[in-house]
Amino acid sequence: MENLGAIAILLAFCLSIYSVFASITGVRTNRPVLALSGQRAVYSIWFLLTTASALLVYALIAGDFRLAYVAKHSNRAMPTTYKFAAWWGGMEGSLLLWSWILSSYSAVVVFTNRKKLRDMMPYVTGILMTVLCFFLILITFIENPFQVLAVGKGITEVPDGNGLNPLLQYWTMAIHPPTLYMGYVGFVVPFAFAMASLITKQPGDAWIHTTRRWTLITWGFQSSGVLLGAGWAYAVLGWGGYWGWDPVENASLLPWITATAFLHSVMMQEKKGMMKVWNMVLIAATFFLCIFGTFLTRSGIVGSVHAFAQSPIGKYFVVFLAVGIAGTVYLILDRLEYLKSEAQLESVISRESSFLFNNLILLASCFAVLWGTIFPVISEAVTGEKISVDAPFYNRVNVPIGLFLLFLTGVGPLIAWRRSSLESLKRAFFWPSVAGLVVIAALLISGVRHFYASMSLGLCMFVTATVAIEFFKGGRAIAAKSGQNLIAAMLELTHRNTRRYGGYIVHMGIVLLFLGFTGAAFNKDATNDVKTGDAFHIGRYELKIRDLLDGDNENYSWRKAVVDVSVGGSVIGTMEPEQRVYKASRQPTSEVAIRRRLHEDLYLNFAGVTNDGRNMAIIQSYVFPLVTWIWVGFYVLLAGTLICLVPPKVKMQYLRTETVGYVKQNEPVSQ
Amino acid sequence: MNRYLNKLLLVLLTGLCLAQTTSDMLTPAIRGVGDRLACLCGSCKNTVATCQMLGCHYSAPGRERIAKMQSAGSSDDAIVADFVQREGKKALAVPPTEGFPLLSWVMPFAFIGVGLWLIYWFVGRYRRPAGFTPRIDQAALDRYHSQIEKELTRLE
Repeated sequence: MENLGAIAILLAFCLSIYSVFASITGVRTNRPVLALSGQRAVYSIWFLLTTASALLVYALIAGDFRLAYVAKHSNRAMPTTYKFAAWWGGMEGSLLLWSWILSSYSAVVVFTNRKKLRDMMPYVTGILMTVLCFFLILITFIENPFQVLAVGKGITEVPDGNGLNPLLQYWTMAIHPPTLYMGYVGFVVPFAFAMASLITKQPGDAWIHTTRRWTLITWGFQSSGVLLGAGWAYAVLGWGGYWGWDPVENASLLPWITATAFLHSVMMQEKKGMMKVWNMVLIAATFFLCIFGTFLTRSGIVGSVHAFAQSPIGKYFVVFLAVGIAGTVYLILDRLEYLKSEAQLESVISRESSFLFNNLILLASCFAVLWGTIFPVISEAVTGEKISVDAPFYNRVNVPIGLFLLFLTGVGPLIAWRRSSLESLKRAFFWPSVAGLVVIAALLISGVRHFYASMSLGLCMFVTATVAIEFFKGGRAIAAKSGQNLIAAMLELTHRNTRRYGGYIVHMGIVLLFLGFTGAAFNKDATNDVKTGDAFHIGRYELKIRDLLDGDNENYSWRKAVVDVSVGGSVIGTMEPEQRVYKASRQPTSEVAIRRRLHEDLYLNFAGVTNDGRNMAIIQSYVFPLVTWIWVGFYVLLAGTLICLVPPKVKMQYLRTETVGYVKQNEPVSQ
Repeated sequence: MNRYLNKLLLVLLTGLCLAQTTSDMLTPAIRGVGDRLACLCGSCKNTVATCQMLGCHYSAPGRERIAKMQSAGSSDDAIVADFVQREGKKALAVPPTEGFPLLSWVMPFAFIGVGLWLIYWFVGRYRRPAGFTPRIDQAALDRYHSQIEKELTRLE
């Protein structure tokens, strides 16, 4: 079986080289059959990588402990779901997953465009397969998942494996990595189309129209991946943190930010034919940040709890990044002539300008995170001394940037394309500003003196008002004409222009995320040693330890505290935080108990028992206000993204503003 | 037999792994200093004040040390300096605002400055000149009128 898997990967590697060669030589020498065979090789590569992946998954589930990968990341006692998840639990398997997803995406791209874009597709295939070829080099020659355990010249096996890291044995962890990878890998496709467009000197926006949906889906996966990771950290790590500014967490955020900037600025190209160079830069930056993130997780260059074990593959990534970036910069500079702007800005106060600011602030945020992530490495290289760049740095730099971004989220929809008059701005801004100011005033009156929290909540209200007004105005106009009720009219409105109104719903998702983040300013925590039958307080809650229980199963031993929760003397529920010790890895983990409510979460971690002979339970308790809105925001964001993908009921054809020439004011127009 | 072995394992492992103490003191005064110091346990990016890992091998003794020095009359700055002397500059939660590490603070805002300049340049270059209006081409105008008519009809 191991031979079959290794041969499948080796063949896929050889075919990826053939595909690059055949696609590009075919189109360059005008031999369409050769180019077509290069594209069809993609299907074979997908089949081979699917076979290799299926064999690895089978080995994990069947417990074939002759394979080093299986012995290291699986064991007999693990539930089947986590045996499956062990596919991406280690370096070799996760690289295979990366390659398999890319081959699947490539097969979909080749199939869906088999009768379209004939001049571009060979290059698209060539670029996709070049990236795949790089990953296949890694798993064929350096991190092969089908290596067997050997003693001398004979294959051996261990009776049982080490098992998957217990922290990863949680349901969101079973879907977070593949979701994130589907985002990371997905950005290769728009990048490939963009580069193919440059190579073939396309003056138009074919690559943008072809990849718009693709980019949006990929962005949705990336958003889901990042937020599922946050959800996992919140529920598993035992202290309620959902974001710790860890380098690997940052690495997943960076391409998300540039992709968000791209999704906005691409509208300028579609509607006005502007910012063509900038869009190329953004999609290239997104792709290279995805590769950079993969490099960061696997090279050991920065310390991270999420990183894989150190591996020699880091230098290969550096070479790939250097060559890729150099090639992309050359292509963009060489093709500047084909990327000229087709229109001009009519006014500084316009939607176009707001997009420029939106892009600047998004990129500033991206740069701040990237800079903070790599600065310890730079500092050590320059000064020879290590420094720490921890959460307070990111918070101080990114909170003001984030709030300004939130402000722009509200401002954008209020400003018209082309130009806005001051009078119309006053009208548009009045009620949202009043709403925001009322919230800030109410917070001040109620004694909240946290500047950033007040600003954030005020801005959340401001943006909510702008979005609500947009829906209300549009809905009312349709209701007046059609006689529908307002809700039905708003649904009709959304259906007519799914991209615009889906976008507003995504903005509402972002507002809810900010609402959840802001709650962190009011967190409470306490750690208590408590005897069975005793009680303690946090916030408005009284927590009484009713019992301590223990037990075990074949995978882990457990001990839990049964805690009665009361408010104002009446019991409102029972919570059972648990500690587990996994037998294979002998590693303890926390199974926290969370009472989730929209206004606040009560979060209990059973941290163990005292070792001073009193045998008291150590309970870490937390009250996290508003944190649930982060997860609500995620669902809203996802819903908005899906709405954007729905074809609109009314297909609007916006003709570009064409500049055909200029005349002086009051000068007669000559035909 | 297996059951008994499992029970024994449970007792041993829970004894070894779960036994803790709540010596992780955190008063507002300690929090004030702890917030300025990085937790160097290697598992988090928190500060000595905000690291929530019970019995953390760095932040828990760090808090105790802060408490001891405070009760001995050391100022907050002296305590921070003591940590830096022991661990080097990496003991600070954020880069110092002097020498090379100052760049860590300056660069994000310099980036925004450069970005603003680029926007200024872009607007200057691509803004339609003042006092000029586009020439109206009758054929294009007719095309737009018919488009508007078509879309209005569809809306109704």
